[in-house]
Amino acid sequence: MSVFEKLRTIFEGKFGDIFANNTIKLFDFSKNVSHVLELKDGQKLGLDVSKATPDEKKQIKEEIIDVIVQSQDESFFLNKSEEKTKQIKRNLPINSDEDLLKFYKDKLNPEMFRALETSIVVRNSWKKGEDITELKRDISWKYPSFGNNICNLVTRNYFEEYFKELYEEMLEQEDFSIISYQEEVERIVESLPYMVFINRHKSYEEFSGEVKFKMDRLRKYGTEKLKIHALGKDNVDKALKIATEYRDDHGITIERKSNPSRTIITIIFRF
Amino acid sequence: MKLSGITFKEESKIDLLELFEKTLDDDGYIVEIDNVNQRVLTPKGEEIHISEWAGVIKGSETFVKSDAFSLMEIAKKIE
Repeated sequence: MSVFEKLRTIFEGKFGDIFANNTIKLFDFSKNVSHVLELKDGQKLGLDVSKATPDEKKQIKEEIIDVIVQSQDESFFLNKSEEKTKQIKRNLPINSDEDLLKFYKDKLNPEMFRALETSIVVRNSWKKGEDITELKRDISWKYPSFGNNICNLVTRNYFEEYFKELYEEMLEQEDFSIISYQEEVERIVESLPYMVFINRHKSYEEFSGEVKFKMDRLRKYGTEKLKIHALGKDNVDKALKIATEYRDDHGITIERKSNPSRTIITIIFRF
Repeated sequence: MKLSGITFKEESKIDLLELFEKTLDDDGYIVEIDNVNQRVLTPKGEEIHISEWAGVIKGSETFVKSDAFSLMEIAKKIE
């Protein structure tokens, strides 16, 4: 017996059917109200039991909900949550995403890994032009210190490139430990709002301008630091050259942290 | 596991909780109807605020939260 037929049985004698554009409304003649139950699109059924009697509610629970959930191993969800689950399902990591997650599984702390995985879902959804507001919000709420940042970094493919390069560079250090890598990733991700990444894709002049622009903006809004992060000798040299532009500025203190082989550097400007 | 396609509206939440013999405490968390000091937990041990309740799945009527992380666990299991 279909769900709709079951509902007709439960409400038999009390309701009539009205068909309109594949939407079926059950009309309660005794109370002269409709919208008690709706079957939309022939595919979905939205249950609003608020106007059902206690006995009718009990019947709905036993003959429909329990059957769906327990016997048929199906979900019984809020309509918005079912849609959200479908959105996540169609954007789950596959192929190269799965390879990426395999790479990071034993390299990131569990929370950051979870955020990475969910951020990949967000990226896949965004590429399809879907609304990602709520998914992004969920990541930010769960991980307030880095959730939003990791989402942005994933969208910009930093985990495909930058953080893999970081791992390779750090691995070459004598005192390397996976904990040190995890901590470095956390530091970088959390610092994103006041971080500039130096890479081979832009010239020294472009980065110099970007640093100046960002520093002016951060100063204006009360953030008192800016960080530059660079990997690889050429990029480290670029970063150091940018730092020398500010060496005579008495309003700025500059701190340099690099590995012994000077292939990784973080420069912190405080102002 | 499958998504049933049978869903409920926001306005029905409280009525449906009663069907599952649950209610809300003063802070809006889902609790057992016969013991309002006992908050319902997800399989991960999380309390569920009514605003976060997504629905139920199998497993002694397992209550699910509506955030992306909780629903991702479901999405991975769906056929």
